[in-house]
Amino acid sequence: MKKKRLPSFVLNFSCLLIYVFLLAPIIVVLLSSLTTTEYIVFPPEGLTFRWYAELLEHPEFIHSLLLSILVAFLTAIIATAIGTLASLAIVRYEFKGKEAIVQLVGSPLLIPSVVFGVALLQFYSWIGLAASPLALVIGHIILTVPFVVRLVVASLVGFDRSIEQAALNLGAGPFKVFLQITLPIIKSGIIAGAIFAFITSFDDLTVALFIVSTDVVTLPVRIYTYMQYQYDPIITSISSIMILFTIVLMIIIERVLGVGKIFSSKNQ
Amino acid sequence: MLYGNQKIYYLLERVGDSYMKLETGSTINIKKKKKKKKIWDAWLLVIPTLAVFIFFFLIPLFFLFITSFKTFDASTGIGGEWTFQNYIKFISDPFYLGVLWRTVKIGLITTLVTIIISYPVAFQIAKAKGKVKNYLTLLVLSPLLISMVIRCYGWVILLSNNGVINSSLMKLGWIDQPLELLYSEFSVIVGMVHVLFPYMVLSIMGSLERIDTSVLRASQNLGASSLKTFTSVTLPLTLPGIFAGSVMVFSLSVSSFVTPSILGGPQVKVMSYITYEQVAVMLNWPYGGAIGFILIFIATITIVFYSKILSKSKKGVAIQ
Repeated sequence: MKKKRLPSFVLNFSCLLIYVFLLAPIIVVLLSSLTTTEYIVFPPEGLTFRWYAELLEHPEFIHSLLLSILVAFLTAIIATAIGTLASLAIVRYEFKGKEAIVQLVGSPLLIPSVVFGVALLQFYSWIGLAASPLALVIGHIILTVPFVVRLVVASLVGFDRSIEQAALNLGAGPFKVFLQITLPIIKSGIIAGAIFAFITSFDDLTVALFIVSTDVVTLPVRIYTYMQYQYDPIITSISSIMILFTIVLMIIIERVLGVGKIFSSKNQ
Repeated sequence: MLYGNQKIYYLLERVGDSYMKLETGSTINIKKKKKKKKIWDAWLLVIPTLAVFIFFFLIPLFFLFITSFKTFDASTGIGGEWTFQNYIKFISDPFYLGVLWRTVKIGLITTLVTIIISYPVAFQIAKAKGKVKNYLTLLVLSPLLISMVIRCYGWVILLSNNGVINSSLMKLGWIDQPLELLYSEFSVIVGMVHVLFPYMVLSIMGSLERIDTSVLRASQNLGASSLKTFTSVTLPLTLPGIFAGSVMVFSLSVSSFVTPSILGGPQVKVMSYITYEQVAVMLNWPYGGAIGFILIFIATITIVFYSKILSKSKKGVAIQ
């Protein structure tokens, strides 16, 4: 046994270092938002929530945060709705061109977002669609439908269709069957799809960078442009709010779906 | 958490092209009688997605592709003449070839470093059981959920001239002047490894978990040390996972924009950055489009190459 102990110590120690590396930038952002200095410094000097209060004097950050939430919310709802319908067709029907549709729906994952952003900007300027929440939502739908389809297809595969058949035989209409039988069973796939659509949209800088205008700026773009000119702890305080927002979202998901559940479906 | 995982499975399927067929192909054919009516149902279900994808994905990309064969006009951006000049300009100018080489080099180094630091973590998680395993997986995947802009920003704070690393090295007296860590290839690679590391962990973990433990026991019973068992049994069996993860990390790395533009900026120009620069700063749409399509080519060629190798070495064996 003694022989085994040293390698496992080395393994655990190197993993510990890697975990520190993994969490370092996040912890640094959180802690340096509490500094009393005028500039960003780590470790923070003193302890204050001043920079959070200062955010109120920069309403543009709050506006951007609200816009990002709105865009992510709409993206999640629309992408999940159309993605779920498409998944039903992909899993349950055989039709000409299905393979091509599967490939098409997945391809945004393979195209660099910067190229998609350029293409979309050019197209928008041609059709005269100005920067607006709608323009952002459309771009984000393209980015997020692939995830929704993957997750919903996964939950539809292995679905025992005899349950639906039974309901139909018992006299339920197809719509009722869908709402009361199909939907509850594939619920976790749909919720997971919606969550990842929300997070992807909320996080997107690359595509939004091309679409935003001076009035319509999402939070990642706001942070990105702000930090090219200034280096004060306002950025770290708004970033910390975003991090905490994500953590709260994850806790809610944990309560609703359960971490164990998400992982057990993955590990099999 | 499934975010990274799904992307991996997705790319694996694209390159291996087998799961999707398994998943979708087997469940159909349930009813062939009502086929005609059902085809209409199917089209009704896909039409919303299809319409959005054709109008806002295929058509824009197609127009950009067309634009990349146009001349540049300083007043309108896009001239009226057709030309191959944009592509010729790229492959004949040492500056742009240098950018291409830097992009590929950063991708290769990122992939290599990611393999080295992912393996121990994947190994530890694969060995762990129950709750510990769940929490470790959560720990590795959670950074994926935090905004990439913010994570890169954290590295800006850490690596800047008066950042933690420089100031502690100076306090220790190892250096007199701060090292120029930020806005260098080094900082871009650090940021990319940080962003892409979870994908590699998941990929390697997948192949580690598929190893039949009786093989390992057999090796030990036959007298092999744990190191020997690792190098001659475990490692070779996880090569497909390492390989698949590398393809993914490399192609995500060469196409990434956020990390190189925050941690590298104009000092470390990569393909995605000059695409952005040509369009947003120079307003040279045709050339920006051409660079973009060269980037698409570079990012997907590895995957095509990989699937070629995969189909040669018999899909089933390689995937397992």
